[in-house]
Amino acid sequence: MLDEAFEALKKFDWGTDVAAVAPIDDAVAATHGQADARRDLEQRLVAALGGKLSRDAQDYVCRKLAIIGTAAAVPALASRLGAPHHSHMARFALERMPAPEAAQALRDALPKVTGDLKIGVLSSIGARRDKAAIAAVSGLLSDNDPSIATAAAHALGAIGGAKSAQALAAARPSKSSKPAVIDAQLACAESLLAEKNEAEAMKIYQSLAGDHQGRLVRLAATRGMLACASKQG
Amino acid sequence: MPMSSKQSSTRRDFLKTTGAAVAAPYVITSTALGNSQRPPASDRIVMGGIGIGNMGRGDQGAFLNRKDVQYVAVCDVRKEVREKAKATVDDRYHNKDCQAHNDFREVLGRADIDAVHIATPDHWHAIITVEACRNGKDVYCQKPETLTLREGPLMVGAARRYGRVVSGGSQRVLGDYRKYVDPVWAGELGTIKSINVNVNPLPKLCNLPPEPMAETIDWEMWLGPAPWAPYNSKRCSGSFSINGSSWRSFSDYSGGGMTDWGAHHFGGALFTCDVRDLQPEAVTFHENNGTPYLSYHYPNGLIVYHNKPKTENLAIEGTPGEKLTPKPVPMYKGEGGIYGDFIQCVKTRERPFRDIELAVNTAVVSHLGNIAYQLKRSLKWDAAKQEFPGDAEANRLVDRARREPWQI
Repeated sequence: MLDEAFEALKKFDWGTDVAAVAPIDDAVAATHGQADARRDLEQRLVAALGGKLSRDAQDYVCRKLAIIGTAAAVPALASRLGAPHHSHMARFALERMPAPEAAQALRDALPKVTGDLKIGVLSSIGARRDKAAIAAVSGLLSDNDPSIATAAAHALGAIGGAKSAQALAAARPSKSSKPAVIDAQLACAESLLAEKNEAEAMKIYQSLAGDHQGRLVRLAATRGMLACASKQG
Repeated sequence: MPMSSKQSSTRRDFLKTTGAAVAAPYVITSTALGNSQRPPASDRIVMGGIGIGNMGRGDQGAFLNRKDVQYVAVCDVRKEVREKAKATVDDRYHNKDCQAHNDFREVLGRADIDAVHIATPDHWHAIITVEACRNGKDVYCQKPETLTLREGPLMVGAARRYGRVVSGGSQRVLGDYRKYVDPVWAGELGTIKSINVNVNPLPKLCNLPPEPMAETIDWEMWLGPAPWAPYNSKRCSGSFSINGSSWRSFSDYSGGGMTDWGAHHFGGALFTCDVRDLQPEAVTFHENNGTPYLSYHYPNGLIVYHNKPKTENLAIEGTPGEKLTPKPVPMYKGEGGIYGDFIQCVKTRERPFRDIELAVNTAVVSHLGNIAYQLKRSLKWDAAKQEFPGDAEANRLVDRARREPWQI
């Protein structure tokens, strides 16, 4: 059945019967806890990705690797991060993969990809909360493209913590990316509060509570200061 | 299909558009003046709608008919839908003031709007809700509020960060289940041991063939953060079908019947058992003669079954002979059902009946179920950490990468 499914994968495309590849879905569930069987399945998927498959079939493989992919699948996925038609589904597999090699692949791709693909990679780095990427992401806060600067700010907000907060505080954002930088600072303050680092969180909130900020931000900062006070109290 | 240059262009165009919109003066029209039948504009909640087809049309009607709402914007990626929605508003107010938008960011960038209702496909809910909060808008978001587990805390976090009123949908949670809710909250059934929810089907991969574009739709915007796929009218149909004829059936856009009707049925079950503020700590995968079903285990000992064999929907197992002290049943605030509840809370800054945190707790049940069925095994869930403890495989399904350039 599984052999037939991999054979069907070669002809899989939008409009073909999903049932033909369903044994691969079943194998993903059935091999839970069976390292050798998982490795074999992963190898077959990676090999298939290197063959001549439709875009739909390649996407299907990435969906499966998102669940079972390991470091062994990273090179094949990483090579797709710069391809406009394939970058998203490569991230689909890499973003939630526990292997540190997956994080490294995203970090390596960041300076190489451009435009929307860079925004996508930033989004995945943020979702992984990859602290090792803070320096590289911070460098994009001043990118000439406001969309990229905004994405970098949101990524730092998702990563959270003191180092992200420091990078955001030091940023000189453009008018269009400034709201994202402030939002990310608030997110960092919340992460610090969750880590019981009320002092650092309070510093961020105080820096955002002044009259130079808009009402929405001042209220958010005031709310944060009250939260800090109640935790300290 | 190359997207990069097109989407970058759209984003830049948006920035220009937004800048222009913010700079434009806000003209007070004759409708802004109140009379004996209607409060003045300064006392009305100024609203816009995002996603106006099907359910969104119903939501629009509910808000538009309120005297304390001034409806000023419609947004939909389908040209015909947004033009019809604009016409509905203009007919109601006897003017041409309602603005029609293709891009939700234009609506959220408008300083004159207080609140939005969102009835896009589910894969857009979290992005738009979070962005709305960042822009200081209150939000009524249709159910199911989330597509993934990770989206829930992000939506709740944005609401709390900016002090926004964010209500989930499902008018049925309070409206349809009173015959179960009332005796339980009155203490007549004693301690509730279990409740069963029957809802189907699970979401599936959409592999429909490409079709010629049969409508004026911004396809890239419809897909948004979902994986790229060719246009097919069933793929993007907003009909209420959950059996393959609408986006509600497909995993890239929805959790299937498990989330779509699950928002109602699980929502009603959790309300009945007064565990709206809790999330399960484990899901057990069972098989009965080859047919799978689930049991969710709550920290207070309650078991919520899903599709328990030979068991009716909302079947309750209480404690015979035991009576508990009655509790007052929570109700909507204001007048006009769940919509009135939201508007009242926008005015008072209270939390609505379907506060986003409670709505997310319901969605979590559906998502945990979908993951358990997909992996065909039992799961543990740490609600505080929002993760499956020690289960790297399941943790991969907590979220999914969004298609560029979309992020939360």
